[in-house]
Amino acid sequence: MKRDLISVEDLSPAQIREFIDLAGRIEALPAAGRCRLLEGRLLGVLFYEPSTRTRLSFEAAMLRLGGRTIGFSEVAGTSVAKGESLADTIRTVEQYCDAIVIRHPREGAARLAAEVSRLPVINAGDGANQHPTQTLLDLYTLQHLFGRIDGLRIALVGDLKYSRTVHSLVHALARFAGVEFLFVSPESLRLPEYVRDAAERPVAARETTSLDEAVRTCDVVYMTRIQRERFPDPLEYEKVKDSYRLDRAALANAPAHLRVMHPLPRVTEIAPDVDATPHAAYFAQVGYGLAMRQAILSLLLGGLP
Amino acid sequence: MSPAEKVLLIPKIENGFVIDHIPTGTGIRILNLVRQHRELDTVVITLGLHCTSRRLGRKDLIKIQAAELPRRFLQHLSLVSPGVTVKRVRDFRVAEKVVLEAPELIDDLLGCPNPNCITNHERGSGTCFHLVDRETRTFRCNYCERHFGQAELGTTLKF
Repeated sequence: MKRDLISVEDLSPAQIREFIDLAGRIEALPAAGRCRLLEGRLLGVLFYEPSTRTRLSFEAAMLRLGGRTIGFSEVAGTSVAKGESLADTIRTVEQYCDAIVIRHPREGAARLAAEVSRLPVINAGDGANQHPTQTLLDLYTLQHLFGRIDGLRIALVGDLKYSRTVHSLVHALARFAGVEFLFVSPESLRLPEYVRDAAERPVAARETTSLDEAVRTCDVVYMTRIQRERFPDPLEYEKVKDSYRLDRAALANAPAHLRVMHPLPRVTEIAPDVDATPHAAYFAQVGYGLAMRQAILSLLLGGLP
Repeated sequence: MSPAEKVLLIPKIENGFVIDHIPTGTGIRILNLVRQHRELDTVVITLGLHCTSRRLGRKDLIKIQAAELPRRFLQHLSLVSPGVTVKRVRDFRVAEKVVLEAPELIDDLLGCPNPNCITNHERGSGTCFHLVDRETRTFRCNYCERHFGQAELGTTLKF
């Protein structure tokens, strides 16, 4: 039976662990062994909205495992622009390749694609809903940085209302024992109740507007960009766009082990002077993302080491 | 009011269905729901508003003189007004009765209230909602994964 990756909510703790362990095993492989895992396989990369990191990361992951990719990075010039339905596009593309990665501005698009397709479908982001590969790479990063995920105290900072990265991460982390959250956001961008309610176990969390508290008391400060494109009202965006800015001075009281993560791209929320501090983990996070996406492709396409 | 007077106001039906224990004020809404189901266009319907009820104090009730109620109508009814009792009447007697509860699964009975849900944009796509909390009657869209209360879903019925 084919396996898809659509939502973190579909994954059991054992399945999450399986992805994390596999990413570790793939990273440990010599390049010569790694580059044959998906030899001769073709990945369809369908991006209905712009992305740099996620698309390049999937393409790099596939190429580094010996596979190849086809696809589009915007709908202009495709049959989608002519009004082709998502289902028809999927049924067409699946004739060409072995798996499909999809990013789409509409929530639930990846689920619909998975229902239509006989191939494994990977959700690379559907509107404000899910971004499960980002979540898995975040978990893998935590595992790398701390040697564990259980018991970490994690501050999520910025746009907690619209950020699908945050929503997925809260769901996933709530499945690990003893994880505590500090939700740091402007009042208008608080984490929606439904996200907390949907977590499998009660979420140990507190809300604050203070970034300083997060820096002083947490193991991880996970910064997010305030996303202009998600705001229905531009004026609301202007009010909150610069709410949080983490710079070297703000980290003066941070414990030595504190790590700063960010799904990137950043705008103003992390100053460049943080990059050179031992706290900065966001570029390493990108690298772990490559390993995790290799693990996802490898598992779903059956190219296990 | 004596039982005899009640019969005069809302006559008994020989065969059909009684939708009973409708919270007062909801009867008109259910009548509108009945009218959306074309199979019930020509049947005789009696509406009672603000009737006395031992259980509810006051209640609305609807009598429908149809041989069967369409399955889709019952599914819609369970969304719009869970907790109502549907009684089948044969030869002036109640032959069977069921209390409608919020369904576990709502399969293509309504549209998703989330305007950005793919099901509101993809031609021919169905919808599906799962009950996630019976107490609060909260449902989750299978596609956009948003949670909705029953009242919110009751406004997006598909006919």
